[in-house]
Amino acid sequence: MPSSNPLPPKENALFKRILKCYEHKQYKNGLKFAKQILSNPKYCEHGETLAMKGLTLNCLGRKEEAYEHVRRGLRNDLQSHVCWHVYGLLQRSDKKYDEAIKCYRNALKWDKDNIQILRDLSLLQIQMRDLEGYKDTRYHLFMLRPTQRASWIGFAISYHLLKDHEMALKILDTFRNSPMVFYDYDHSELLLYQNMLIQESGDSEQALKHLDKNIDKICDKITVKETYGKLRLELAQYAEASKVYEQLLHINPENKMYYMKLAEAERHTTPEDTLAMLEHYEHEYPRALAPKRLQLNYATGDKFKQLVDRYLRKGLHKGVPPLFVDLRSLYKDQEKVNIIESLVLGYKDALKAHDHFSDEDKDKPREPASALLWTYYFLAQHYDYLGLTQKALDEIDVAIYHTPTLIELFVTKGRIYKHGGDVQEAYKWLDEAQGLDTADRYINSKCAKYMLRANLIKEAEETCSKFTREGVQAMENLNEMQCMWIQTEAAYAYKRLGKYGEALKKCHEVDRHFSEIIEDQFDFHTYCMRKMTLRSYVGLLRLEDVLRSHPFYFKAAKCAIEVYIRLHDHPLPDPTQTQEIDTGELLTLCLLLNLY
Amino acid sequence: MSINIRCANPNDLLNIQHCNLQCLPENYQMKYYLYHALSWPQLSYVAEDERNQIVGYVLAKMEEDCEDNPHGHITSLAVKRSHRRLGIAQKLMNQASRAMVECFKAKYVSLHVRRSNRAALNLYTNSLDFEVSEIEPKYYADGEDAYAMKRDLKSFKEEKDTSSDNCYSNITIKNDECC
Repeated sequence: MPSSNPLPPKENALFKRILKCYEHKQYKNGLKFAKQILSNPKYCEHGETLAMKGLTLNCLGRKEEAYEHVRRGLRNDLQSHVCWHVYGLLQRSDKKYDEAIKCYRNALKWDKDNIQILRDLSLLQIQMRDLEGYKDTRYHLFMLRPTQRASWIGFAISYHLLKDHEMALKILDTFRNSPMVFYDYDHSELLLYQNMLIQESGDSEQALKHLDKNIDKICDKITVKETYGKLRLELAQYAEASKVYEQLLHINPENKMYYMKLAEAERHTTPEDTLAMLEHYEHEYPRALAPKRLQLNYATGDKFKQLVDRYLRKGLHKGVPPLFVDLRSLYKDQEKVNIIESLVLGYKDALKAHDHFSDEDKDKPREPASALLWTYYFLAQHYDYLGLTQKALDEIDVAIYHTPTLIELFVTKGRIYKHGGDVQEAYKWLDEAQGLDTADRYINSKCAKYMLRANLIKEAEETCSKFTREGVQAMENLNEMQCMWIQTEAAYAYKRLGKYGEALKKCHEVDRHFSEIIEDQFDFHTYCMRKMTLRSYVGLLRLEDVLRSHPFYFKAAKCAIEVYIRLHDHPLPDPTQTQEIDTGELLTLCLLLNLY
Repeated sequence: MSINIRCANPNDLLNIQHCNLQCLPENYQMKYYLYHALSWPQLSYVAEDERNQIVGYVLAKMEEDCEDNPHGHITSLAVKRSHRRLGIAQKLMNQASRAMVECFKAKYVSLHVRRSNRAALNLYTNSLDFEVSEIEPKYYADGEDAYAMKRDLKSFKEEKDTSSDNCYSNITIKNDECC
């Protein structure tokens, strides 16, 4: 649609160069060309040129001038789609998406088939989850550009998101029969997306047929098999389902879900059935951990005792540090706790006496000295878990006396104190552990966490700085890296110290990370249509819809809410009346003003 | 616990980032994790415990712009110290490598490792058949050199079962600079 104030050829050529410069991010040159047009008194108020100058200024960070120019341009040429589009882009760059959508709509009034504006509009609509609007725009784009892959994909996705599976599938079917070029992987992903759609429509039988028909064209065999398994189970085709899960276990014998699904497919009715199946897989895949460990979940009584005895001995003999963590989930069953405790106490006595796990083993080769150490270590964690602090400390002290250089022992001693409520002593032991291996960030992180629990914020930051970028404040670098756990722990520490402003500052940093992650979606709306990774894309959209349900958000939000309620119940003194007020509290007030 | 090893999905990414921040000095913003998950959804794997906490992960990608010689790259691999010596890193790596061959016809997989990280170096050379291809001076932000390593993936084309003897690989760390 021509502007109400068209430029003569020379100026028009200059204007086109401004556009080109903008596309190529040559903003300085863009400004030069704009100046050439605007310095001509006849065109000094030329709307589209002013708008483009504003947009260019925005890219150079001169926001105020940008708005001034764009608005002036728009006032001078209200019927120009360029001016409206530019105003929309400006608002979008400020994340004022609702405003931007209005601008794009105005722009389309003057140029209803402008592809670029329609695309920009569709991105904002999906970002804002205006699903009806998105569908209309994708339909429009599809009608304008039926030969482009993205037109079809976007059109289909818009119906999928509205749960109109039938329409979405129809679009994809037609699309796949069109002569558009595909790479193997793209086609494979498209087929899997289509299958996901059929599954979500509830038609398992159809999904199975679709898979049968297209299996040769799908390269992601894991997803194919997992889908087959799921569908066969849904359709009660148990023998076929069993076969699929057997194949999957062959590829990955550490996947718990496969065992559970296989048990379902084999129609197990008692725990003994599942136990026998797991035993079979233990022999089939001797190096796999899962079948050995899962047996302990199903066995009871003497069978459990026999299995866990073997399991414990093996772990203590080899020295597997996570042995207790591995078995911890069995502790919800008191019978199993008792069996484990009596076994390990038996090992301790026998190992102390003659380096064997039991008196009956006396003729066998001796256990390494470390077996006793790992036994003490196990018992310390065992008692700690049961809340028997003193017994836990006794065991860990013997262990440390036995081997004074093992970092895990110090970490466990710290944890026992933490569980016992002594945060000071807890952090001292973690600090000790950290000193023994300064190159390990895991220990460093744990140490910092314990320091924060002891309200030692400065010390924690100092500790963290060993692993953050040099030349930058540790907390600043951690914020940049979206390190939420430390910000949340710091928030709670500040709260305990009564520094409510600082506490809120940390909580809001966490909140900002979540906003950033929601923003992050933006680029993927176009990217995934090109890459054809549509299943993951829909997964992303669904994740972002509930992003703030993540425990990290919950924890930080809870802290913020507690602080706000406390400040509501016990308001701080008015800063204009009291001079002596710390900066943290001032900041609280600022935040409160913004938020209430 | 009983560890579960499975392919990662978008819902895992915040927890993978958390695991990375706890364990490794090279960290990335969420967008970089999203980029991996949405470009090569088959290649990244996680190890989780019974409470669905991520205790280890491998973040992997395909190198772009080399269609005639497709190969994968390990962006980051970590296992929490509390879960070492279970062979998790090795299992994660093997699953990722298998998927690279299956979905993208990868011929080899590459990675970078700090020269000082002997435990990781040991894992890569002894348990996973990596070989040092070159030294990249001052690769890491703190000025340390990196070994660039490669592993031929031919064997994955032939045999599917890839578990190997060494289950004690002590440490399991590797990581790249952020892009």
